[in-house]
Amino acid sequence: MNLLTILIFIPVLFGTIILLLPSSLRASFKYITLLATLVQFALSIYMYLEFKTGAGFAGINHEDQFQFVQKLPWIHLDLGSAGAMQIDYFVGVDGISVPLLVMTTLVMVIATVASWEISSNVKGFFALFLLLDMAVIGVFCALDFFLFYLFYELMLLPLYFLIGMWGGVRREYAAIKFFLYTLFGSVFMLLVMVGLYLSVTDPATGNHTFNIVQMMNPANYSADSIFSAAAQQTILGVPARVLGFVVLFIAFAIKVPVVPLHTWLPVAHVEAPTPVSIILAGVLLKIGGYGIIRICLGIFPEVAATGAFWLGLLGVVSILYGALNALAQRDLKRMIAYSSVSHMGFVLLGIASQTAEGISGAILQMISHGFLSSMLFYLVGVVYNRVHDRDIYNFRGLGSIMPKYTAFVMIAFFASLGLPGFSAFVAEAFTLAGTFKSSTTNGLLPYWMAIGGSIGILLSAAYFLWTLQRMFFGKTLLKGGEVWRTALTDINVRETLTLVPLAIMALALGIFPSLVLDVANGSVLALVEFLKK
Amino acid sequence: MIPDQAHIAHIQTFHTVVAVVLPLLAAVINNFIPNKLKITGWISTIAILLSAAFAISVFAAVWNTTAVHTQQLWFTIGATKVYAGVWLNNLSVMMLALVPVIALPVHIYSMAYMKEDERFNRYFTYLSFFCFSMLALVVVDSTILLYAFWELVGFSSYLLIGFWFTRDKAVQANKKAFIMNRIGDVGLLSAVIILFAQYGTFDLVRLFGDNGLVSKSVIENGVWIAPAGQLPAVWQYVAFAGIFLGMAAKSAQFPLHTWLPDAMEGPTSVSALIHAATMVAAGVFLLGRAYPLFTPEELSVFAVIGCFTAFMAASIALTQNDLKRILAYSTISQLGFMVLAMGVGAYASSLFHLATHAFFKCLLFLVAGIVIHEMQHIKHENHLDIDPQNILYMGGLRKKLPLTFISAVIGSLALIGLLFTSGYLSKDGILIQAFEWAEGKAWYFQLVPAGALLTSLLTAFYVSRLIVKVFFGKFRLLNINPDIKLHISDGGWNYKMPLVLLALCSLFPLFSLHPWLYEHAWLYQGFLPANHLERMNVYHTLIPVGVNIFCVIVMYLAYAMYVKRNYVARQNGWLFRLSYNQWYIDAIYNKLFVKGALALSNLLYWFDRTVIDGIVNLLRSITGTLSSLAEWADRYVVNGIIYLITVLVRRTGNLVRLFQGGKLQYYMYSMLAVVLLVFIFKLLIS
Amino acid sequence: MIGLNEFLLLSAALFCIGLYIVVAKRNAIQILIGVELMLNAAILNLVAFGKYDKINNGGQVFALFAIVLAAAVTAVALAIILNVYRQYKTIDPSKINKLGD
Repeated sequence: MNLLTILIFIPVLFGTIILLLPSSLRASFKYITLLATLVQFALSIYMYLEFKTGAGFAGINHEDQFQFVQKLPWIHLDLGSAGAMQIDYFVGVDGISVPLLVMTTLVMVIATVASWEISSNVKGFFALFLLLDMAVIGVFCALDFFLFYLFYELMLLPLYFLIGMWGGVRREYAAIKFFLYTLFGSVFMLLVMVGLYLSVTDPATGNHTFNIVQMMNPANYSADSIFSAAAQQTILGVPARVLGFVVLFIAFAIKVPVVPLHTWLPVAHVEAPTPVSIILAGVLLKIGGYGIIRICLGIFPEVAATGAFWLGLLGVVSILYGALNALAQRDLKRMIAYSSVSHMGFVLLGIASQTAEGISGAILQMISHGFLSSMLFYLVGVVYNRVHDRDIYNFRGLGSIMPKYTAFVMIAFFASLGLPGFSAFVAEAFTLAGTFKSSTTNGLLPYWMAIGGSIGILLSAAYFLWTLQRMFFGKTLLKGGEVWRTALTDINVRETLTLVPLAIMALALGIFPSLVLDVANGSVLALVEFLKK
Repeated sequence: MIPDQAHIAHIQTFHTVVAVVLPLLAAVINNFIPNKLKITGWISTIAILLSAAFAISVFAAVWNTTAVHTQQLWFTIGATKVYAGVWLNNLSVMMLALVPVIALPVHIYSMAYMKEDERFNRYFTYLSFFCFSMLALVVVDSTILLYAFWELVGFSSYLLIGFWFTRDKAVQANKKAFIMNRIGDVGLLSAVIILFAQYGTFDLVRLFGDNGLVSKSVIENGVWIAPAGQLPAVWQYVAFAGIFLGMAAKSAQFPLHTWLPDAMEGPTSVSALIHAATMVAAGVFLLGRAYPLFTPEELSVFAVIGCFTAFMAASIALTQNDLKRILAYSTISQLGFMVLAMGVGAYASSLFHLATHAFFKCLLFLVAGIVIHEMQHIKHENHLDIDPQNILYMGGLRKKLPLTFISAVIGSLALIGLLFTSGYLSKDGILIQAFEWAEGKAWYFQLVPAGALLTSLLTAFYVSRLIVKVFFGKFRLLNINPDIKLHISDGGWNYKMPLVLLALCSLFPLFSLHPWLYEHAWLYQGFLPANHLERMNVYHTLIPVGVNIFCVIVMYLAYAMYVKRNYVARQNGWLFRLSYNQWYIDAIYNKLFVKGALALSNLLYWFDRTVIDGIVNLLRSITGTLSSLAEWADRYVVNGIIYLITVLVRRTGNLVRLFQGGKLQYYMYSMLAVVLLVFIFKLLIS
Repeated sequence: MIGLNEFLLLSAALFCIGLYIVVAKRNAIQILIGVELMLNAAILNLVAFGKYDKINNGGQVFALFAIVLAAAVTAVALAIILNVYRQYKTIDPSKINKLGD
């Protein structure tokens, strides 16, 4: 049995067990879920350790270089003279997906622990949670576009219900907004996917194929097909490949999220329960970045090159716009949500630079943000669980009554604002270095974008420090008075145990970035080489 | 010979790493020691003592010999290999030795000074962490690591400024300090990135070492040409600007100096170590490291800014009443001298001044700490509501605190730069070289040495004012309340020993056996380039003599003004107000940048909510309207037709059912009706 | 002079009265009377038209035959009505709707 397949479907197995168990055993559901995520985490660590690095295992556009591959014919329809419709169950990983997988599985464990306080409809929650888990892992592993799309859409469903049923006051509004936004993106993606399917033929079988790796090879496109680079077809006067790229980019940009497609994020985060916030920020946003790297850049490399300026511009705008918006917030969770927009802007900027430093920086930033945003949202959840308020102005001097909590907040804040020693620093510094280098190496991005991005680092210090000063320092003064003071107990052992691994990961990646970079380097170099052609 | 050299390099590197890591180790251990156990002070102190010992051994081995450069692969990103290592040359070993030597007395002093604080352990954790960052900063060999520790230094300073985090002023000050340092960090990061893009390496030795890449590149026709690759010349200027910003933020130079006076909210021992002696020197150290990068024009910028900062800070220090604030502005002023020295090419003098300044400024801060501590004691004992740092409440303390007084005088004389002190040696060197530099240049360049000269006179004045107000005359609180009891003293050995140690180091013998010729100072000589100028002109005699005479006159003036009250300064002129309000720079920044950034962020948030979300909501409501239209159509048109059909069918069915009601007579009726219909039909068609 | 038309008119009147009774009355016996009236109207017609069948006197013969039959039918019908009355305690045909049970 293929390891990757096991990894993907373990949550479903455990989810089925939960569904079959009677509700009287509801206390055990969280332990079952925890077990599932822990097994998954162990598996992903094993894969990470077993993962072979080097130029021969780069992946990207070489199907034989992917690892832990499983390829099974899944849907096969013989259409007579029109050939055969072939959809494969095709999963595999390369250096870009492996670090993301490890990060995802760890964040899932954390999210499970964060769901400890869920009390209503426990069975439904954990079943949906595990379904989501499966879909997310599947997206990172799928190499068949149809399968990718399937997992991609499958993510939406549990999320919609998780926000809509276990969320805050305006949860339905948030859930619908989230659903419409992402659905809007993916519906058009479906069209492009079908177009690509009809354009690409598998040289081995001669049939059309959904194989993403095959789609990266221009030779596999039929001469007169819609997305063939040689045919230069147009749709409504726009070159078809540009349109395809833009559509796919919009779909992923909504996930990242890129300004101006970001407004679902603050709403969804504010209304979502803590574990869902963690998954949203920790994992889902990375799917956007991953999709842009794997699909937008992989399938439309020449469009990505000509459009790099606009991608970079969107990245810089996201960085600055998100940071300035974060500065204006008074809801702690909303502030962190906007900071996510800002930090994910670096990812886009790094990808747009198409330099090895930039893309590695972007991947590192995704991993780092995965851990740090999980930590941040978990920390918000801690205070929210105790007093059901998140308004920054309603708290003051939490440092005196919750010293341990404040210490973790400081770690998370300073790590997020890019303090050296933590992962975000290396990621942001190299993203900017790659951006600056882009002009001399491939001439895609102008020099000033790196400087623009670095202003974002300054602004992130401003909003995090302001929050720290306003909320945690000074003399203790709480809106809820004595009631709150007794409610605001310092974090307990379980919460500490949740936060410590995240903090350690952020620190470890800051001091040994090679933990990620050694795995990713081969693939990144291959990708950069591929993009240059 | 070669393996021997390698062996030495290996040992020195190892010692350096030990010296750097010991404080970190102490910080980590301290972090896990429970609050009740107050042994952290000793742990940190022993760590810094050992660190100092190792550092001095490294210093002794490397000073004036070949530089040591060892590195190891840190990580690979893409095809770029990033190394981590140490680069020990005269500059770094001097700093390496200086930091723990200054830190050691501060540690000892802190054990007494922070004794009462309930977060004693936390204090030493932070302090040791700061020492680690600072030590690492001076020895690392790559720009990226330099930047990393540069920021960690800022971070530990943030922690220490805001150590008393329940005080609003302290936490506002540390936020301000960190953000202003962040501006510098962004500049430095930009410079690091530009250098990386231009030279493809982060290695300081390859960049700035002898025959490094930077010294081989030129600017020609608007292009900055490096051995491998080129950039538009503007990026050389941006890199310079970035390093300038970084330097200006850390070393508190105009326009990023305003955080330093506020940083005095931290414990005084912290101010002594961080905001007087070590961290603020990092900016000057950076200039020393990156010196080959700067073109002559860029160096002039340093000269001008340094001179301006020195003058401005000195002019502000004239009228301040907060003891620590005066010292803070004096630090800014002295750092201005160092930057000026870098700018006029007096590289060696700048670093020499850095070293001497570290000792006497640290001394002065420790003195201030004792004075403030005793004032607090008086405040608590007599239940007064006073600011213990305000020099207007002090006076006549020389009798109560004799050792403190003597130390303060030595420190002050060194700060003024009178003969027989270390300050004399280093500062006059800067003045002389400033004059030499300006010679033959346009008239406005003459302002730089003139400003520096004027600043040293101002320095003499404000320092004398400080000493006179604090230690001479009568204790002024007695004027208000004659019942005040003064139970104060110099304090225990923790206080006395550091003072004595630092006071001795502020005198000339440590640096030069010749009391008035700065060229003889060994530290100075260690930084001289091979082709330095010999003493050759009249400045070398005229300036020291002139400055000393003038300074003495100014000091007497101050004494006369504040003790004998011969002159009363006008306190309402615009010059006074300008100085007292610190040139309104803080107010301007607050209005312009802080308010501006907040307004911009609020505007953008409004934009986000109304425009972007508005568009989304508009789309949503358009979709909503469309869908309700569709729903209407669905309900009334499509559904209506179907409904009509069903109604018809039902009616027909009901009608037909009437005939099947099982009622005999209806059958009759219908038969009759049918027959009649048939007849009528027949009639009609016939 | 009484001609065929007058007989036919009388017969039609009789038939209509009978039909009215059958349709409108709520009493089975009355309905039976109505049926008898309509039957007699038909018999009257037979007799009237019998005038034109001089050879066989078919009309009269049919009339006699019909009268005998009508007597039998009436007897059977009365018996049914009697039974219905026993079963349902009513002889209103609109209320007798449980035939299926």
